[in-house]
Amino acid sequence: MKQWWLQPMVRIGVALALPLAVPLIITYLIWALPGDPASIICPPELCGGTEELAKRWNLDGGPYQFYTAWMANAVTGEFGNSWRVLQGVPIAGLLGTALPNTVMLILLSLVPLVVFSAASSAGWLSPRLDPLFQTIGLVPAVVYGLVAAAVIQLTFGADAFTEDALRIRLLLGALVLGVADGALAGAVTGTRSLFDAERKQRYVGVAILRGETELSNTLPNLASALAGQLRARTLHLLSGAVIIEAVLQIDGLGDFLWRGTLKQDFGLVLATATGFAVVSAALLAFQGLLEIFVALHVRRSPAQVSIEEAA
Amino acid sequence: MNKRRLALTIALTCVGLLLLGSFTAPERLSPVSGAEYALPMEAPPFGADARGRSLLGYALQGAQIVAGPAFLAAVLVGLLATLGGLLRCAGSERLVTIVNGFREVVGALPRMVVILVVALLTPPEWRGLGVLAVFWAILAAPGAIDEASAVASRIGGANFVEALRAHGFTRPRIYLYHIVALNLRPVIVRHASETLMQVVFLEVALSYLALASDEPSFTHLESFHSWADLLYMGYTSLILDVPTMHALLLGLGLVGVTAVLSVSVTASARAR
Repeated sequence: MKQWWLQPMVRIGVALALPLAVPLIITYLIWALPGDPASIICPPELCGGTEELAKRWNLDGGPYQFYTAWMANAVTGEFGNSWRVLQGVPIAGLLGTALPNTVMLILLSLVPLVVFSAASSAGWLSPRLDPLFQTIGLVPAVVYGLVAAAVIQLTFGADAFTEDALRIRLLLGALVLGVADGALAGAVTGTRSLFDAERKQRYVGVAILRGETELSNTLPNLASALAGQLRARTLHLLSGAVIIEAVLQIDGLGDFLWRGTLKQDFGLVLATATGFAVVSAALLAFQGLLEIFVALHVRRSPAQVSIEEAA
Repeated sequence: MNKRRLALTIALTCVGLLLLGSFTAPERLSPVSGAEYALPMEAPPFGADARGRSLLGYALQGAQIVAGPAFLAAVLVGLLATLGGLLRCAGSERLVTIVNGFREVVGALPRMVVILVVALLTPPEWRGLGVLAVFWAILAAPGAIDEASAVASRIGGANFVEALRAHGFTRPRIYLYHIVALNLRPVIVRHASETLMQVVFLEVALSYLALASDEPSFTHLESFHSWADLLYMGYTSLILDVPTMHALLLGLGLVGVTAVLSVSVTASARAR
């Protein structure tokens, strides 16, 4: 028989492994490609002294040596310097600037999703509005991003990189992320269908007859599924954030990942991909822990009912 | 004409336009002197860019860049979704567990992060939208497999197959007609058409970002022009007042046609 704790524990295990596995896979893929890693990362026709660079970047001792040295430094917050995007600038400093911006962007873009999802599950949002949300969601993030970038440029002109402009960039970016690529439509219809299906369960009707509220009965049973949906939506937003940050020139993890990929800055890509892996792992661990909490809560319930006392 | 037939007609028209564009795309776009910034009525059908190159050429070259990889990704997702549904009906618990594990691992990271890492690691001679489209399809597959599997469970899974066997139907007929064609079709087609649209939008996004950074895109050759070029021209018309608004409208129109293609394909395959 399947144990209730198995799936949450698998999720927590994967969450712990993810930040270690992502740089490991990238490192071994670099070595698996035909040719010398140092030449792949910095082709001799572009960089002089590839051997010297290989020694400096720790690429001359094989993938295991590179990975262990990189991880040992990474756990102390040392990610080395950018190789091409901002040559010589410490990556830890770049990540220190980028992470808060990305987290802020994602949290702000979650606001409309959570508000509209809650409204739809409570029945305050008519299903007749779904086609509208779906139509809005058909437009890709890059198109909305283009419009948002133009608005910022036209509004701020030469001051487009001030603190005020950054705040507006974050707000517009969050709005774009929240509605583009079907994010809002998916959140609204997904949450509503979950609650609608659960409301039809017999136990909910019985609970209402006992004088209990619908939400207090359905929510514990739906919490795991809602956490799963929230994780999926946040991953979707993180994926879109790469485009939005690059289009709106927000210094976030996604923007650095994009610039690192474009300029073949292997060190920056490794660090930012690991940063994304840490965020994904945190989401996965949150889902696992919530599942454990809900399972324990459901096993304790019904807490207020005592048959002996009632008799 | 009923709704499904109408949707099928629109879908076939959009697919036909995309394929026609991809097969008739010119190798190079030649500038025409005197046609700089020509509007659609001055240089039909869509006008010209700052160097007098026809915007029709941009649209056709963009179609050629996206058509093959987008259809490849759609077919791949469709096949994997079919496999997911059939595995559920075959009643193989071990395979279902493996597929679930695959889904958990693949779904753990944001798709765009994986795509950019793949773009970084792809050797220059293999670089193009094709590789990225295949990876996008693999990343999109778990959702499709999951839903196809759920549909197969709802119709009874292995019990459904046994019931039809008892009625004397052959296994190929049960799996291919009763399960895939009658029950899984809406899910498979919807996921495939969504993936097709997403791959087109992925190309537009990556090319747009490369253009904005003044770097070559890793989705196509430098001599080719993506639909993102049209959007970028439109962006410059918005902020610099360059007379290329017609390019933006064409770019948005092509994005719209892609979205209509996806929606109409889905609608045409909807269950009766």
